[in-house]
Parts: sequence; structure tokens; C-alpha cells
Amino acid sequence: MTGNTEDFVLHTDSPRLQIRNITKTYGGARALSDVSFDVLPGEVHALLGHNGAGKSTLVKVLAGLVQPDDGEILIDGERVRPRTPRQAQELGVALVDQELSLVPTLTVRENLILGAPRNGAASSPELRQILDSLGLVRVSLKDQLGKLPLGEQQLIEIARALSRDAKILILDEPTATLSDHEIDMVFKAIRRMAADGRSIIYVSHRLGEILTLCQRATVFRDGECVGTEDVSALDRESIIEMMLGQLPAPSVRQHREGSGETVVTIENLAVPPRLMHFDLELAPGRIVGLAGQVGSGASDVLRAIGGLVPEALGTVTVSGRRVRLGSPRRSARSGILYTTSDRKAEGLFLDQSIARNLVATRLAHLSRVGIMDSSLERAATKRLLDLTGLDSDRRREPVGSLSGGNQQKVLIARSLEQTPCALLVLDEPTRGVDVGGRQEIHELIRTAAAAGTAVLFSSTELDEVLELSDTVMTMFGGEVVATYAGAEAKPAQILIDMTQGRDREDAA
Amino acid sequence: MSVHQIPRRDLGVRPRNIGTAQIVAVVFVVVLLIATLTTDAFYTLENVKAVFNSAAIVGIIAVGATAIVIGGHLFSLSLGTTVAVCAMAFLQLLAFGMVPAILLTIVLGAVIIGLQGYLVGRLGANPIIITIGAGALLTALVTWVSGGVSVYPASGAPSFAFLAAPVLGLPFPVYVFIGVVVIGELALRRTVVGRQLVVMGASPKASLAGALPVVALTTGAFAICGVTAGIAGVLLGAFNQSGTLTTSGTLTYDAIAAVLVGGTAVSGGRGSVIRSAVGALLIAAISNVLLLRGFSPPAEMFVLGLVVGCVVILNHVNQKGQVAR
Repeated sequence: MTGNTEDFVLHTDSPRLQIRNITKTYGGARALSDVSFDVLPGEVHALLGHNGAGKSTLVKVLAGLVQPDDGEILIDGERVRPRTPRQAQELGVALVDQELSLVPTLTVRENLILGAPRNGAASSPELRQILDSLGLVRVSLKDQLGKLPLGEQQLIEIARALSRDAKILILDEPTATLSDHEIDMVFKAIRRMAADGRSIIYVSHRLGEILTLCQRATVFRDGECVGTEDVSALDRESIIEMMLGQLPAPSVRQHREGSGETVVTIENLAVPPRLMHFDLELAPGRIVGLAGQVGSGASDVLRAIGGLVPEALGTVTVSGRRVRLGSPRRSARSGILYTTSDRKAEGLFLDQSIARNLVATRLAHLSRVGIMDSSLERAATKRLLDLTGLDSDRRREPVGSLSGGNQQKVLIARSLEQTPCALLVLDEPTRGVDVGGRQEIHELIRTAAAAGTAVLFSSTELDEVLELSDTVMTMFGGEVVATYAGAEAKPAQILIDMTQGRDREDAA
Repeated sequence: MSVHQIPRRDLGVRPRNIGTAQIVAVVFVVVLLIATLTTDAFYTLENVKAVFNSAAIVGIIAVGATAIVIGGHLFSLSLGTTVAVCAMAFLQLLAFGMVPAILLTIVLGAVIIGLQGYLVGRLGANPIIITIGAGALLTALVTWVSGGVSVYPASGAPSFAFLAAPVLGLPFPVYVFIGVVVIGELALRRTVVGRQLVVMGASPKASLAGALPVVALTTGAFAICGVTAGIAGVLLGAFNQSGTLTTSGTLTYDAIAAVLVGGTAVSGGRGSVIRSAVGALLIAAISNVLLLRGFSPPAEMFVLGLVVGCVVILNHVNQKGQVAR
């Protein structure tokens, strides 16, 4: 399983990177609390932990995107403090994000030298060598980047980091959107880089990948470092145990019996290649949670039903009437209301006031014969403002000035209480919301369900799925892994489903 | 985290006391002051009438153009051509009587520009490209049909002199201008369509996801602009008593300049009809002063361009961080 242990042993001298007592708080919330660990040269080091555990904050600290409140970072024994991504790059730290930061219309070569230090751009023969070392022998420097397969583009991103002579490469979910074959290519490249003596920090939710690829793993939980272990001493169960820790008694929602009637049916829903197949029948008042990581297809299910994916296939009916997919307006008219996970781009009108945002998508309901009825509008604004718990003195402030959690509350409140609403579709309803705000949003959703609205939501967060759902469906790689009725949903099993699916045990 | 903790000062919003309206007002006052102090003839009744008169046609079109800009679809660059075509059509349609001629001309304007809006909304196409293309097609079509010569009132046409004649001392178009501004402003603030237009301009993506009828709204905004082009066509045709494609002159750009000087945001989601009307008046006042001061036409254009450019830039800089309330 750990095929390159020999290579690894060769390089176990002094640590390349030492993290010492790093602490970072946002407002009152601790994102990182006294985190310490080492990364050795030639090592592939996994960072584990479920969402919000602190991995991404740590990655941002290393990449110079976030300044820690306390603690120190040592590279090759020397104290460093990267304040900008550029400084991090000069220190030999390169971050390869899951979102590609390449320009598809430029050539491979242009992409590689884009943003390089003025006189530090690598020559073409050097770039050629880097591409070869990553196994990209068939890719020409003159190829247009956008024409390459996604996996090769991901490798070009890594090649760019190498061309800046990175000693420490941070790969954040590099395989989330890749096919098996492409994952193979990325893994080969990573092993080769480690054999060269570089340190690789590998962030992934996919446990199978970590067990095959990494030598050691550091596990995060609630902003703390639980420990660093040799991967050879771990298996899936022990990793999940470390990630979950002492779970509070699973606060699974009081499971209510379905009434047997069906208001919404979804059959053969597909958005190839991201979502292969999805079926579901929903009864009024039921809350169904889709648990899946980025790229699992959960979000694609919701967007397709909401009418935002013109190429979606399959049948959706509301109260027996078929909904033609592909237009949010048609979906809304059939009683399906979609709320995005991307509130800044697709949800709120950031420059407009809170009051305007609350009624922005329901103006027609607050009018008589096309003329706005100001008393209806005032009443609706007040009611929704109360739902959000925001101070009504602030209703004229731009929604963009609110904290992320309060913005999310405005967005959720706006989509509640719309008529007619048979199904509420919520993509990541509490993204970026703190614990208190999350409870309040959950309460809003439960209230809507209690009034008879069916709810379908997605979440990458285990706790949320468990707390809110009557039924949990786990998704991985564009397929449903399993369906659990409320009480049957066990955290460990859900996490296993979410992180590796059923058939992907030996990915890579 | 409680929402009450965030101090107002940290909200990143500029204090409201230096808004766009204020900039335009200050420029207006400065222009009037300079005019008063240096130009004797400016404050004669006749001259004030002249300012209003020359602002009227541009102002009417600017009201319609405001709908497109607020809805986030930039401009229709076929505006002037459409007005000219409407003027020609009006003179011909007079053969059917006054009321049918006026109504049909307005419908024609709404169809010509509304169609462009439908294409922009349906295809998600760039409005600049669509409307330039439409303008060229329209020019070609009308030149072909009319043979490129001027159009005169149809024989047996009823008298239309009242459309250009003064009423209680002010030319008829000025009353139309005021009426269009009042109706336009009320429609923008108080109707569902007006409010939805503002929302759509604020974020097209969020409007689509929020199930607003974006295609219908886009078509509607352009059609409203077409209605004002039709009205302007009627008034222009009546005033000139003849129509050619060249009568449009710089109408397109004058109307756009009025909207921008008024401070309606080019990016959409923010602005008002009254502002565009003030913009049109400001531009008319400036060019009037320059005219009275004896500037040569090129010099007049230069100064006017300079003032318009400065106000637009000031507005733009000022609007960052402002909110529609």
C-alpha cells in the first residue's frame, strides 16, 4: 500500500517544514488552536479532518493568504512568516488549489511563466524537463491549455509550482474533479516529486487516496491538531475515529414517519459526466439531506432540479405534473424554489439594501395589478426581517455589509414563505455560517418543513446532515452511495460513504 | 455572533452627504452661476424656453434609455436611427388620421427596439453588438424602401402643427417631456416591472437563479425605450415637417450622455429617471451658454465633451460603495 517507503526513509533527516503552536481566530471563533507538526523532505504528508476542522486555514497560513495570531513557521530550520502569496512562493511554498488558476486560451508555456518573477522565469528547455518529469511527455509547450484533458491541466498547475522551484507543494483536493485515469497521472507525478526530495502536503477527503499515497497523516478536529501518525499504522476506521473524536450523542432529528403521499418525484436525473443517476420521491414536510463532498454530484442534483442546468436529463414531477427542466422560472412556477450555495454571485444583490433583498424575488406577490402595494411590502419586509433576527434599524444597509452568516440568513429567509412552494431546494444552506447562525437557519428550515414544504438540501458537513435530515442520502462520484432513514444514519458510515464511495476503495 | 455588534462606521459605506445627485446639482449651479455672471442673454424667458426645448426630445429618449441602463443592459445604439425612422413613419401614417398615426408610430418604435431586447435577453447577447447590428439593418432597410430621399407628410394629412407649437408659452414637446419623466419615474419606483428591472440590473445571475422573468424584463426595458423613441419620432417629425435618416444626428449619444451625466450607474441596478432628465437639462444648459458666448461649434463640442466626461467620471468614482435604498 505504501509502495515508496524506501524512498521516504532515504530522506528522513531534519524536517523541511515545522509548524509550531499556530493559532488563528476569526472574530470569536477559533479556526486553529495551538497547532504543531512537522513535514519531512521527500514526504507526502496528508492533512485530514472534516470541513471546518482547520485544514484550509492552515493551508492559507502556509500560502501567505492568512496571518496567524500566534505561533511560528520554520522552513529548513529558519523562521519565516509569509505575508503574501508572493513571499510564500519565494520561500519555496506553492499552493495548488482545487480550482485551477490557469488561463485556458493561453499556451502551456505562457501559463507556466505567467506571474513568474521578472527574471526568474524558467527557460523553455527547463520547462520541457519539468513537464517530462511529470509524465507529460506528449504535451507540447505550444499546446493551447484549454484543449488538454482536465487531469493534464491539473498537472500543468503542478508544473507551474515546480518551475518556481517549490520545495513544499500544497495540493488541496487535487483530484476532486478528475477521472480515475487522471488521478493515476497526478499520483505518479506526486511520487516522482517526493522521490526528488520535495515535501508534499496533500489535503483530501478521499481516505483511499491517502492510504495509498501518503506516508504520514496529521488529523485536525475543531481547529486542533489531534495527532500525526504513520499511515502504515492506520486504516479507514482508525482515521475516521480520529477525525470524529468523541462525538456528542448523535443529535439526529426526531424522525417522523412519512405520510405515504408523494409530492415531488425525481426519476433518472442525470447531468453527465458530473451526475450519473438520481432517483427520489419526496413527501410533504420531509427533509432529505444529500451528503457529499465537492464533486460528488449532490450540488448538481439541486441545480438541475432548480432549473439552472439546461443540459440536465430526467423527469421531475410536482403533484403529478411534469416540470420542464432548464429554467429557474419554470421550476419556481411548479413550486420548486432553489437557493444557491454561492450567495455572493447567485444569491444576493450585494449593493442593494437588506430590505430590498428580502423582497427582491417576490415583488409580484406584493402588488396589485402591477403596482407595488407599499403596505404589503412593508409587512413582508418586517416579517422576513423578524425571521432573520436582524435589527430592523439596519434594513436600509447594503446586504453586502453583513457578516457571512447574516447574509445567509437573509438569503434563506427570502426563499422561505414564497408561494406556492412544494419543494425547497437548498444548496449548502449554512456555508460559512458560525454555529449559532447555523442553529437559527436550521430552525427556519424546520419551520418551513413543519408547514408542509418538502426540503431537499446538500451539505459537505456531517453534523449538519445528521442534525437536519429525516432521510440521509450519501453521494460520491456522481452516484448515490446509500440512503438512510433518520435513525439508521451513523456518522462513521456516512463519512466512509462520502469519502470513498462503495466501489472506490482502491482509487489510484 | 450578534448582529448588533457591528458598528455602523465599519460598514464601508460612504456617508450619504456627497451623493451623485449632489455632484450633478453642484455642476448645475456652477454652470448657471457662470452663465448668469457672464452671459447677459441667459436669463431671458426666451432663452430658458430654448434650453427646455432643446432638452425635451433628448430628455424623452433618455427616460427610455434609463430603463435599459438600470436593467443592466448598457444601451441601444440604434436609438437615433429608430427615432428618425419613427419620424418618417409618422409623417406617412398621418394619412390614417392623427391618433392612429401617433399610436402606430409608438408601437413601431417599441417593436423595433423591443425586438433587439428580446435577442439580448434570449441569447444573452452583448447589447452593443446586437443594437449596432440592428441599427445598420434598419438604415439599410429604410434607405432601400424610401429610396434615400426625404419623407414629407402624406397628402391629406390632418394638421399636426400643434405638436410643435407653444402652449402657454412653452413648446408642446416640453410638456410631453415632463409627462414622460413623471410617468417614467413613478413606473420605475412603484410598478413591479420597474422594481424588477432594478433588481435585474443589480445582479443578472442572482435574478436568473431567483426565478425573475429575465427575458421578458429585458424585452420590456428595450420596448419601453422604443416607446420613448416613438414619441420622440412623432415630435421630431412634426417639428421638421419632413424626415430623413440623418435627422437623428447625435441623438443616440446625447441620450446616453444625459443618462450618464444624471448619474445612473452604467453597470445597472441604480439610478433614476429624474436624474436622466436633469442630465438632459444640464447638457442643454451648457451648450446653450456656449452658444450664447459665441463658441464655434467645434469648441462647443469640445467643452461639452469635457464637462460631460468629468461629471461621468466623478459619478463613477463616487458611486463605489453606494447603495440603492
